[in-house]
Formats: sequence, C-alpha cells, structure tokens
Amino acid sequence: MSATPEPSPAPVQTQAPARDPLAPNVEDLYLESYAFTTAAALVGSVDRKIFVLLRDGRNLFGILRTFDQFANLVLQDTYERIYLDDKFAEVYRGVFMVRGENVVMMGELDIDREDDHLEVMQQIDFREAEDELKQKHKQIVSEQKIRSKKLLEKGLINDFVRGDMY
Amino acid sequence: MLPLYLLTAAKNKPVLIELKTGETYQGDLVNLDPWMNLTLSNVIHTNTGADEFSKETEVYIRGMHIKYLRIPDEIMDYAKEQNLLNMEQRNKNVKRRGGDRNQSGGGGRDHRRGGRGGNRRFQGDRHYNNNHHYQQRDNE
Repeated sequence: MSATPEPSPAPVQTQAPARDPLAPNVEDLYLESYAFTTAAALVGSVDRKIFVLLRDGRNLFGILRTFDQFANLVLQDTYERIYLDDKFAEVYRGVFMVRGENVVMMGELDIDREDDHLEVMQQIDFREAEDELKQKHKQIVSEQKIRSKKLLEKGLINDFVRGDMY
Repeated sequence: MLPLYLLTAAKNKPVLIELKTGETYQGDLVNLDPWMNLTLSNVIHTNTGADEFSKETEVYIRGMHIKYLRIPDEIMDYAKEQNLLNMEQRNKNVKRRGGDRNQSGGGGRDHRRGGRGGNRRFQGDRHYNNNHHYQQRDNE
C-alpha cells in the first residue's frame, strides 16, 4: 500500500487573538532543565525574590535566603498579601521561616513585572482585608460541611481539611 | 547556612510562632533541637480566632506542629557575623595545628584531633538541646 503524501494544508492566516498584557511569553513557559530534583532545585532561587503559597492560603513575597532538604524556607523582607477579587492588601512581615510541609507552591518573581497585575486592583487596609478573608473562609467551611454531609449520605467521603484554604 | 542553624542565632531573641492550627506563641526563644522542637519563655499565647490571649512563663512546642516562625530582622546579619567569627576561629586553629605539626613532626594525630574539635561545639549544643533536659526538669 503506497501512501501518497498529502499536500500539507496551506497555512491559514488567522487573526491573532487579543493578547492579555499580563500573559507571559510562550518561550518563558518552557521549563529549564534542572540539575537537581526535589528541594535542591531551589538553589537557583536563593537570594532572589520569590512567592510562596501556604496551605492556609497565605501569600508571601520575599527574598529566599536559605532552605534545607525539607524545603523549610527562610524569607527576608517578606510581605504578606491578601487578594480579594478586585482588591488587595499587603503588610510588611520581616523575616519568615516557613516549615516546608506547609508550602503549597513557590516560584521566582520577575521583579520588573511583579506589580503589573496590581495596577488594575484597588489597595485596601490590611485589617479590612483580613476580616473579609475570615468571612470568606467561614463560608467555605460551612459550604464544605454541607457538601460532606451530602456526600456521606451517598457513602462518599469529602476530602476537606479545615486548614486547607489555598 | 541552613534554616535551623539560622534559628540557633535567634536564641534569647523574641520570636513569633504560628502553629498549623493558627494559634500563635510570642516569646523569647530559649532553645531548639534538630527537629525544630522549641522552648520559649515569657510567652503570650493567642488562640486561632486571635480574640483570646493568655500569658505563660515557659512553653515547649513540638516542631511538627509549627506552620511558620517570624524572627527579628537583625538575625540575618547577626547569624552572618557569627558564622564569619566561627570560620575565622577555625582557620586560626588550622594554622596553629599546621605549625604544631612542623615542630613536633607527629602531625597526623594532631590533624585528627583538630577535626574533632571543630565539631565539638555542635555536639555540645545538641546535647544541651536534648529533650531529656526538659523531661528531667518535669520529673524533679
């Protein structure tokens, strides 16, 4: 059976979709090849500004100074930031030592563009934001309680931990 | 410099510890061990909702339950200084040992003794940090 090579379809000129100004360049999304795996992969981020998300939903922004095999992190000049839909609030926290097990994710920040997304948001008082966040968490807990009940009636388990707010 | 080593530099300094439950403990760090178990003195304890407070003279916290610690800003510089001092001291010891070896000719043994000397401080620390220290206190 001889297969005749199909003529490749002519490139279709499509209108480029409107680019989100905050979206990264595609080539920036390729993963670098890491010399180390697990916690040792963090060596490249030492003395750089990083973002850390904790299991309780806290957003920390600071300079990574040291880490160890458990991914315990030491952050200097840390800011904690709360995001609420179109509002945000932040407060200076200083030196943080985070126990690795509480980290959901972390990543390096592009210091030229890290504040770009805040321009479309309104900054509010941190206390205010904290209260609003507390209400939000309360709501999530009560919603999850109902969910657990419903799932349990069907013999299923709801995988929710009160401390997980990320 | 590992995080736990940095934390040893925060001894006798005020720290804030938040547990996974959201409770916080604010007090002076007395001691810690390689598992991040800590003892604090002159502690203010805050509950999860941050609406109830209590004072304790001494608190022992198991490292496992810690979410994060906040330590004073100046600790980073202080730890760096301490580290430099330690390194200088070590270099001096090495130099002196080198001189000894040239004089006595029996350098091999001296060298080994020096190596152990470098570790001695850490071992001592660890011994002092041992939990038994506190358990014994409780039994007394």
